[in-house]
Amino acid sequence: MACFLVSTAAAIGVTVAQKIVAKNEKKKAEAGETEIKEYKFGCETKWSDRLKYLATTLWTGSFLLAGEHVIHGEVAPFPPFLTAAANPTDAAEMLHEMGTVGVAMFAMLVVAWGVGAFLWDLIKYRKHKKQQKPQLEKEV
Amino acid sequence: MYFLTALVCTIIAGVLYYFFRDRKGLHLDILTITFGAATLMWLVDCIACAIGGEPFLSFDDPQDGWVALWTLLGGVGLWLLVSFILNNGKKETPKE
Repeated sequence: MACFLVSTAAAIGVTVAQKIVAKNEKKKAEAGETEIKEYKFGCETKWSDRLKYLATTLWTGSFLLAGEHVIHGEVAPFPPFLTAAANPTDAAEMLHEMGTVGVAMFAMLVVAWGVGAFLWDLIKYRKHKKQQKPQLEKEV
Repeated sequence: MYFLTALVCTIIAGVLYYFFRDRKGLHLDILTITFGAATLMWLVDCIACAIGGEPFLSFDDPQDGWVALWTLLGGVGLWLLVSFILNNGKKETPKE
């Protein structure tokens, strides 16, 4: 009914958070605090980039689902915009669906993003280790 | 049905991204993410339907075809729009 709205609301929040994090990272970069002293797992990827991918996931998924809801006549171009919101019984059902299916969709996207971000860092970490191996052998 | 459409689109976009991963200007990662996100969201919807006693996949909705077409065109259209913005929104560095 309006399950995509949970992800849309989350996308707005993540986009705002991403902008704040990017601003802080820029400030740190200008102050010269971004130098990597010791290589750690995941240090190559900025948090603003990670959040950008999460925001993209949430926005694009919500966009396609919003289109599906428009085709099914669940979203209208006039107030109250959600056809279920016009009727109290349907509105209660809609809120229940948002609380169950909508939240589950959001959780699924966050988990998928988390797994993707972890695998990305793992690939980078393994690449770094591979590059380090010949250097260490030379030193020995 | 649109879950299956989105799944097939995700697989195709993922394969394209793998083969053209060095061509950053194509932004195929965004296309893969778009279809992948929709697939996951519809997967949850299908699971919710199955829990509610409805079939996991149903093909009897007369608007299924339109939603499948929207999935394809909406995803590709969004990718083209975002790619155009990203490729043309970069600030050009002055030549020395």
